[in-house]
Amino acid sequence: MDASFWLLQFLNAMQYSMLLFLLSIGLTVIFGLMHFVNLAHASLYMLGAYFGISVSALTGQFWLAFILSPIIVTLIGAILYYTLIDRMRAAGPMNQVLVTFGLIFVILDLVRLGWGDIALGLDAPDALAHTVSFWGISYPAYRLFIIALGLTIMISMWVVLARTQIGAMIRASVENADMAASLGIHVGRLFFVVFCFGCALAGLAGVAAAPIFSATTTMGITILIPTLIVVVIGGLGSLEGAIAGSLIIGFLETFGAVLLPSLSAVLTYILLAVILVLRPQGLIPARG
Amino acid sequence: MLEVKHLSKDFGGITVIRDLSFTVNAGERRVILGPNGAGKTTLFHLLTGVEKASSGSISFAGKNISKMNAVERARVGIARSYQKNNLFEHLTIRENLMLAAAAATGKSRWFFRDVINQADMKTRIEETAEQVALTDQLDLMVSAVSYGNRRQLEVGLALATKPALLLMDEPTSGVGPAMIDTFHQLLETLPRDITILIIEHDMDLAFSIADRITVLNFGEKVFEGTPEDTRGNPTVRQIYLGGGDGTYGATNDHA
Amino acid sequence: MFYQTRLRTITLILALGFLAVYASFGSYFAREIVIEITILAILAISLDFCAGFGGMVSLCHGAIMGISAYAFSIMSVKLGLPSVPSAMIGLMAAVVFSGLVGWVTARTSGIFFIMATLAFGQMAYTFFFKSRWLGGDDGMGGIDRFNLSWLGVDMNDALVFALFGVAVLLLVYVIAAILLRSGFGRILSGIHSNENRMQAVGINTANHKAMAMAASGLMAGIAGILAAQHTLYISPELLIWTVSGEVLLVVILGGIGTLIGPVVGAIMLVMLKHELSNYTDYWHMVVGMVLIFAVLAGGRGIFGQIEYWLITRHSPKTPHLPPAKEKDLA
Repeated sequence: MDASFWLLQFLNAMQYSMLLFLLSIGLTVIFGLMHFVNLAHASLYMLGAYFGISVSALTGQFWLAFILSPIIVTLIGAILYYTLIDRMRAAGPMNQVLVTFGLIFVILDLVRLGWGDIALGLDAPDALAHTVSFWGISYPAYRLFIIALGLTIMISMWVVLARTQIGAMIRASVENADMAASLGIHVGRLFFVVFCFGCALAGLAGVAAAPIFSATTTMGITILIPTLIVVVIGGLGSLEGAIAGSLIIGFLETFGAVLLPSLSAVLTYILLAVILVLRPQGLIPARG
Repeated sequence: MLEVKHLSKDFGGITVIRDLSFTVNAGERRVILGPNGAGKTTLFHLLTGVEKASSGSISFAGKNISKMNAVERARVGIARSYQKNNLFEHLTIRENLMLAAAAATGKSRWFFRDVINQADMKTRIEETAEQVALTDQLDLMVSAVSYGNRRQLEVGLALATKPALLLMDEPTSGVGPAMIDTFHQLLETLPRDITILIIEHDMDLAFSIADRITVLNFGEKVFEGTPEDTRGNPTVRQIYLGGGDGTYGATNDHA
Repeated sequence: MFYQTRLRTITLILALGFLAVYASFGSYFAREIVIEITILAILAISLDFCAGFGGMVSLCHGAIMGISAYAFSIMSVKLGLPSVPSAMIGLMAAVVFSGLVGWVTARTSGIFFIMATLAFGQMAYTFFFKSRWLGGDDGMGGIDRFNLSWLGVDMNDALVFALFGVAVLLLVYVIAAILLRSGFGRILSGIHSNENRMQAVGINTANHKAMAMAASGLMAGIAGILAAQHTLYISPELLIWTVSGEVLLVVILGGIGTLIGPVVGAIMLVMLKHELSNYTDYWHMVVGMVLIFAVLAGGRGIFGQIEYWLITRHSPKTPHLPPAKEKDLA
């Protein structure tokens, strides 16, 4: 195990962490703001991948798909918001889990109807289809792009939340929605905007992941569990928590798989159990 | 019966109870007086073990209970009624009283036998209902009875455990004059084998039932004595009645 | 709080009667459906016990069932123990696992409890999925049914096994009903209603909830033994979290907190699935929409809604109203 091995694993872990981040950030902020648990969030990720593949196939343009697919997913999210999510907001966690569990089934079969049961691939764009050699390793350029994309979004979200007025409004509403409303923040509209943004990131994660993993009907359910674990470990509703959680899970799973293959499968769950017992509010909980 | 010695409680640097000592004799009715923020409810939290004291000790029936948690203290016979209703919602009054009585008699470990229709339990539920004047409402849902009835049930839940020490946190909070009379009667008819500590804002009620009165201000005991002495004490007037025109009615919400 | 009302008794008799008649006079296929229903119904009763009456909405009941099935199969197939002691060990494994989950999660509530149980269930799933000794994702076969030849019946006969399943379902219902009517069950309902006050009157609620999870685990374990003996083969599929989600669906569909509702829900879901799969490959979508509709319609479920109508028509303040919507959100 030389330096290049570690570097390779580090990049793999980063790339997985960034995907987890893109998914968990939407889920966690939606929970923090609206106290809504959306199990179907990962189904939107799956839709992102499939729409990306279709747009790309129709137009031959990867980058068009890369932009259009999150927009389509956002539109679907907006429809869901007005038909289901908004009226389930006060219904409590069990009913939210049930309704979004139902949504997973519905979206799953819609995808099977639309695209069939076989795995669909998506080629990385020509500009990123090569591998890059540096420090004694060669690594696919597309995967480096994913890492850069994730880091960019992570940093810009941190800046938006910490430095801008809308960020201040979101933080205020996470801490105390009633108080925020009385200060003149239109909480309902803020919820909608944040929910749509979360959907857009899920769609983006889907289309970004398609060239690496290819799209399957089980991809949503498979990624849902690690995403939920990230959110719970990090602390529901917190950006810093989502960052810490995705890095922890991304690195734990990647390095666990190569260093402790016999234990790796349950490592994440053991970590989650320990955190739930010792610190049920998560590592970096949102205040409020 | 109850002996509190040098009890203190800090919350992040703010002292809510400061070096508080007092003794309550068996069968006594002790009223705790004090303006808002004097630490009365915190004192109840400390006595029931919901909060841990920062220092000092609490003895009950000759035993040091300072280290016991809330569940253990309930089991040695300390019961409490709350200032804000803390009932079993969505259940009937009978079921509410049954839960308290079953818990206090160790029937949570009855895995096969029903408790609602068991003879001892039935008697205890009906006795308690009579004590708090809820016999006619026994089979109504909590949500279907008046606020005053819920205040009575609040005390009933504590009584159903047959406590040796009963802590009542403003039982008449938010009720009208007629209901205050009901509580007055209730308090006078409770058997003397129950020792009672009561936080009460209705002065007429407080002075008529109290054997002794302890006055708190900013977490400290500023006075303790009989109702007569309390009435005449200038410090108490100054602190509790806020600058004192001398009439109790000045802070009496219900008079 | 649980009451075995006349309506519930009648529904139980009708449901079990229907299953027995359907198995006796139906085809081999009908008997397979009946045994599938009984397994799901037992699991749903087990979940209703802790979710409907204890407020513990578990997403690991599939895993508890699977652990029992695996422990049973390990004992009987790998270690060659007779099937009855193997089954006992299977049940014990389920009780220990769910009791531990209950103990660890006793201080969490709401969404944290749901997440925690989800995680523990997936942990068990992953364990069996990766375990080469137990066949990994291929699962393991070679399982035998109980030998009831001393009763003069052959358990390998589909009808006998289906009727055996119906009898076990009745047994589990009775166990659950007795526990819920007991002091233990009453206190459990009290914890669901107001955990803080239950502590104030002297109940160690964390222990009580852990014990309730263990009792629920016993019932889920029974479903696991039945499931292993039904297919004579087990795989990690049994433990995956969507199985638990489907059981929760059954509980909601039939009526949470009614105990008999889950039996009704299991009959409806399995029949619906089989009818639908004759016409379409996409029955998941229909099931998903039914679930969404059931929650939007008020969450009382089929039996729960009927019971609610019947009771409120007579007297609006009757004590054993099915849980209203807001009560189960805790």
